[in-house]
Amino acid sequence: MAKYFDVIIVGAGPAGSLAALKLARAGISVCLLERGKHPGAKNMFGGLLHNTPVLNEMLPDFYERAPLERHIYKKSLAFMTPEATVSLDFENAHYDKPPYNGCTVFRPAFDKWLAEEAVKAGALLLCECTAEDVVKKDGRVTGVTVKGREGEIRGNIVIAADGVLSFMAKKAGLRQDFKPENMGVGVKLLLGMPEDTINERFGLVRDQGAAIYFVGAMGDIRGGAFLFTKLESISIGLVIHLDSLKASGKAPYEVLNEFLEHPSVRKLVKRGTPLEYSAHLIPEGGYKAVPQLFTDGMMLAGDAAGLCYTNGLNLEGINLAMTSGTLAAETAIESLKTGDFSAKTLSLYKKKLDASFVMKDMKTFKNATGMMHLERLYKTYPQILAGIMETIYKNDGAARSKLLRIARKAALKEVGLKGLISDGFKIGRSLL
Amino acid sequence: MNIENLTQMTQFEVDEQPHIIVNKEICKTCDHRACVKACPANCYTWDEETKLLSVVYETCLECGTCHVICDKGALDWSYPRGGYGVRYRLT
Repeated sequence: MAKYFDVIIVGAGPAGSLAALKLARAGISVCLLERGKHPGAKNMFGGLLHNTPVLNEMLPDFYERAPLERHIYKKSLAFMTPEATVSLDFENAHYDKPPYNGCTVFRPAFDKWLAEEAVKAGALLLCECTAEDVVKKDGRVTGVTVKGREGEIRGNIVIAADGVLSFMAKKAGLRQDFKPENMGVGVKLLLGMPEDTINERFGLVRDQGAAIYFVGAMGDIRGGAFLFTKLESISIGLVIHLDSLKASGKAPYEVLNEFLEHPSVRKLVKRGTPLEYSAHLIPEGGYKAVPQLFTDGMMLAGDAAGLCYTNGLNLEGINLAMTSGTLAAETAIESLKTGDFSAKTLSLYKKKLDASFVMKDMKTFKNATGMMHLERLYKTYPQILAGIMETIYKNDGAARSKLLRIARKAALKEVGLKGLISDGFKIGRSLL
Repeated sequence: MNIENLTQMTQFEVDEQPHIIVNKEICKTCDHRACVKACPANCYTWDEETKLLSVVYETCLECGTCHVICDKGALDWSYPRGGYGVRYRLT
């Protein structure tokens, strides 16, 4: 085996494999390292692959060939209290035809497929290789070592796409320690369910899919829940802020089990067959937690680069990962032409990211991280909302009030004027 | 629905070499031992009698929650050797 490559990519996830595909197609020797038995064996996410233009450009027949489950036709946002659910459903015929706005996938299948595309283009995929450390020469990253194996793999450029806990970024000195306040933990249960049951239960036909995001009903814990429909299974899980989890003294699976018992959730998961349980960290620190993205001989892509955000409505990562991987590959192609792999040359990567939707979106929602840490968002506001709805619909012989009066009364009672102004300012700065 | 023993439905390729090593002396003096509760796979156990923290690395989902949540530097945490550890089939 050749031990010298133009580019070494650590991690055959969506960022790494798309980077490998781009580089291999440009005729560059690329080595893709994966620590799992196969790509995807270590990967987990909620379930939704967002529409990603670079993926469609590079693999135009993607919809015909990729192992996709359902395209998302219906999106719902549900605010919950222990007793009530206020839900907003959005169904849209525009989401029902290609290019679909998003599709559910199984990561072990999808990541494997994407890595195989890179292999077909000429990339060398080495599975069962856990990168352990970076190799440096004269201050420049020139390769990686693999755990439990002799020797090292060297190359001109290393693209670290090794995920949220990027030990490569840390070893290269590109990032500080991982902090609980910048991380969410996702726990997920996959439940098998007959196709007809899913279609009837969620109001779907053919391979239409549903995505539901839940806020509230987790006591004092900051976090949300999600549900995605696959063809014959549903993914249901939680994302919990790590600092909040620590403070709660609760176990994630306890919170998940309680959530599954919520009256509105219970009927959605009824008679589901538990198939697999999984957990993964999510970089939720947003723009302010993005590490240094490049150094001499190395670039970071995907979760390793902290490219992920949530603003309460959008939860994006995989599309940012694939786009950043492609941009890192483009930068590598440029620098290989000149033979200069210095940080100065690789800074082009940052410029490309800044010009793309990836960093633009990260910046647009840079204040959302603060908003997502508002305790009241997860308990008090869903309660207020449910209270308003209850008052509106309640028939008890009492004289009715107009909507604004009901809302004002409920909000002032629960939060107070000062709290409302402060929260309104934070929410406004994040979303408006 | 209440699921018991969640990790039992997940597959693992167990390595004889542990990828998590606990510094039991540090854990004795820890004021929170948040790892015990926060681990999604319930890998950590604190024995009040012996004052020892133990870890079952065999069913670790490799999420890294413990690594991030431990602020005492008591965990020597790394990914398992290539090919070992959790092996998701569907997720």
